[in-house]
Amino acid sequence: MYDYVIIGAGIVGTNIARELSRYKANILVLEKENDAANHQTVANSAIIHSGHDPKENTLKAKLCVEGNILYETMEKELNIPILRTGAFVVAHDRNEEDMLDQLYQRALNNGVKEILFHDQSQAQQIEPNLADDITKVLSLPSTKVTYPWEVAFACLENAIHNGVTFKKNSRVTNIVKTEDFFNVEINDAEIIQTKSIISAAGIFSDQVAYLLEENVPYQIFPRKGEYFVLDRKAKGFINHVIYPLPTKKGKGVLIIPQVHGNILLGPTSQLQDEKDLLSNTRDGLNQIKNDLHTLAKNIPFNLIIRTFAGIRASSSYEDFYIQESKEFSNFFHVAGIDSPGLTAAPAIAKYLVNQLVDKHHLKENINFDPIRPKKTVFYKLNFEEQLALIKKDPRYGNLVCKCEKITETEIVEAIHGPLGNDTIKGIKKRARAGSGLCQGGYCEQTVLKIIARETNQPINKINYYGLNTPILVQETKVKP
Amino acid sequence: MKKDLVIIGGGAAGLAAALSANHPNIHILVIEREKSLGGILNQCIHNGFGLHVFKEELTGPEYADRYLEAFLKLNIEFLLDTTVVDVKKTDDFELTVTSYETGLFKINSKAVILSSGCYERTRGSIAIPGERPKGIMPAGSAQRYLNIDGYLVGKRIFILGSGDIGLIMARRMTLEGAKVLGVAEIMPYSNGLTRNIVQCLNDYDIPLYLSHTVTNVIGKERLEQITIQEVDSNFNPIEHTEKIFDVDTLLLSVGLVPDISLFDSLDFKRDPITKSAVVNQFYETSVSGLFICGNALHVHDLVDYVSIESEKAGKSAQNYILNDRKQSNHLHTIKFNENIRYIVPQLIDFEHLEANIDLSFRVSKKMEAAVFKIIQNGTEIMTKRAKNLAPAEMEKMSLKIDKLIDDSPITLLLEEVSL
Repeated sequence: MYDYVIIGAGIVGTNIARELSRYKANILVLEKENDAANHQTVANSAIIHSGHDPKENTLKAKLCVEGNILYETMEKELNIPILRTGAFVVAHDRNEEDMLDQLYQRALNNGVKEILFHDQSQAQQIEPNLADDITKVLSLPSTKVTYPWEVAFACLENAIHNGVTFKKNSRVTNIVKTEDFFNVEINDAEIIQTKSIISAAGIFSDQVAYLLEENVPYQIFPRKGEYFVLDRKAKGFINHVIYPLPTKKGKGVLIIPQVHGNILLGPTSQLQDEKDLLSNTRDGLNQIKNDLHTLAKNIPFNLIIRTFAGIRASSSYEDFYIQESKEFSNFFHVAGIDSPGLTAAPAIAKYLVNQLVDKHHLKENINFDPIRPKKTVFYKLNFEEQLALIKKDPRYGNLVCKCEKITETEIVEAIHGPLGNDTIKGIKKRARAGSGLCQGGYCEQTVLKIIARETNQPINKINYYGLNTPILVQETKVKP
Repeated sequence: MKKDLVIIGGGAAGLAAALSANHPNIHILVIEREKSLGGILNQCIHNGFGLHVFKEELTGPEYADRYLEAFLKLNIEFLLDTTVVDVKKTDDFELTVTSYETGLFKINSKAVILSSGCYERTRGSIAIPGERPKGIMPAGSAQRYLNIDGYLVGKRIFILGSGDIGLIMARRMTLEGAKVLGVAEIMPYSNGLTRNIVQCLNDYDIPLYLSHTVTNVIGKERLEQITIQEVDSNFNPIEHTEKIFDVDTLLLSVGLVPDISLFDSLDFKRDPITKSAVVNQFYETSVSGLFICGNALHVHDLVDYVSIESEKAGKSAQNYILNDRKQSNHLHTIKFNENIRYIVPQLIDFEHLEANIDLSFRVSKKMEAAVFKIIQNGTEIMTKRAKNLAPAEMEKMSLKIDKLIDDSPITLLLEEVSL
């Protein structure tokens, strides 16, 4: 019997798992995919927003500003990468400058610190590639970027370290309330018993809720965002996150420097019916290119190495919906977590867990260790440090991904780590092999063979990502 | 470790360069990242190599073997499974090198030949719309899995791009029992050699859809279906021309790019068309002592030309080391008209006119008949007639230095003529 089952191992579920592991409780995290952090968490802008944008007096505003500050602690405790970019919101004429003033006021009301204006020449001096017709910018120094799925992995690894159980490939197919607890059915087979359920199921949260509730108090409206990824060579083209003025549809198409030197361009904002249709469209990609000209000039579109799309779990409730079920006690909704969900995630976790502590009289877990050890990123070390590591482990000498300079040891650690994975994309998410210019064209076959060797599987059993996605489908040579 | 010449990449280009640079007074080191020398030739098990150099048809591994045998006889030092991770230039080059066997170490070298080949353009770089399932990969990766590892990556294949690797793989996968449903090419003409269209597609009844591109990809985890559409002259898809194919694999043969990012830290002049360095007739870049040849300089369609070019680069490096030959300031860019996409070398060093200069170039469009003219100082100093020109086939012309009338810049004109 579990005290808590958390449904969904995205940025929200993993933060809740970690926060809850500060208390004495038996906790299980369920994830339907073959890996944690696989929907919104792996396809978003990676921005830790300052909190200038959400409407005043909403949970979004409160938890965004709090979350932004909590990332400072998380950086130290979980050793996650953070790049302090700051951000500019840009205006092009008097009308937009008035809107910028309103945004300034909103940011102040939301409690955003250190905000200021730059005129055209100051802004151009700081960011020479800003579009020439930008007349004024609102500077948000507390805006930063992170590596979203690494944050989710770090939270989950730390939660596991503090006693949480994680089960992947576990889709919740039914929930039945008995007198004192819930029976959670996984993959139409196994039944798990738990006293409480926390649903952090992202775009599928309304469907999960309908397994139990008659009337789910919100509906999820999937809203797709498409992106371009620029190669690391684009680093320095723009150093701040650049926002246009927000509209009803969202924050608009942005320029977003990333922690590893890449730059993201996007997202679009398109409502769609399907929850899992992550397709790029010609129109969407063209829209990004068109919209960006109001933000910057000399955009190095020739350095595009990838496109992707993500789905925001926007809801009819409009604000984050973090409440106990009105029909079933001890079923907790954490839903409608679209932007600024990544930013707010640690604050969402605290907000929810504080309620649970009160309601369930949770006792502190005195053995809680907030530290998730630092991962070795070999290429960032100096020559002497690298030599010392190679002396201990010669596999550091074997460079596997030459675009991103990833060594064999880092790949082996990604396979065997506390949240290890044995798929090509799983290793890419953890060790970044294949994230560069050639997109794995060179290293994929090496990674595949290392996975096979480390997990004692034949190479044709190694999956791209999902459970039945082998890269090699048929042997052609007759074995002697 | 101190060397006179480090050659980065032990494929067709690196081996040929090593052979010609070899000299009793020059200490050469070849660095190869794979476990064997020969480079991409090792996975090119089809024939058609060597017609120019050896006057016979060899397979890729056979062609590599010819060079390898000669190379091994010379006892030139080489490192396998070794990667160059960093390069700095002061007077000499300082290379940081790593391998499992040796760990990390530094090499100083007077000169460097970069013969690191090219990489394949990917789905991301051409932004194919649709979902992102497993089953979409560069044709060269599929070739490696098939010819080196012995596995097919799929059973029902569509190929985007009519580059030579794509055409070769259409035949190769068919022979292994896969069904290749077609090849789509966005241009109105093929990007591969004519002989490959005939021998790899026509002979196996594989349709080639010219002026078509992939406009949608369907499949959550595994590729299930693709859509191709005809494109107009601006490459925009034309409505109602959709054709749908149920496939498990989409191979991409959409271009190769010289792989020189290792040298990004060195500030040398670049050619935006070849996406590699600007070089003079010695294949030397604007960084003194840095030579580039083979597919790392510009993408070739015939390995024979890689070997010929790389031998010259090797000779130049030898000359640089033994005779301390330095680039002069007397460099002129070779100009050309719009019918030509690029020329290599881009520069001629007029102070060192030692031998006839091989001009390699590609034309911008298909032409049935044309005349090449080399103009200097308003005078036509050389002409050559040519038939059946296509962007897919590299053109060569030797600039005879005894025809030069002075040291003013030269211009290459390509004029289309009627048959």
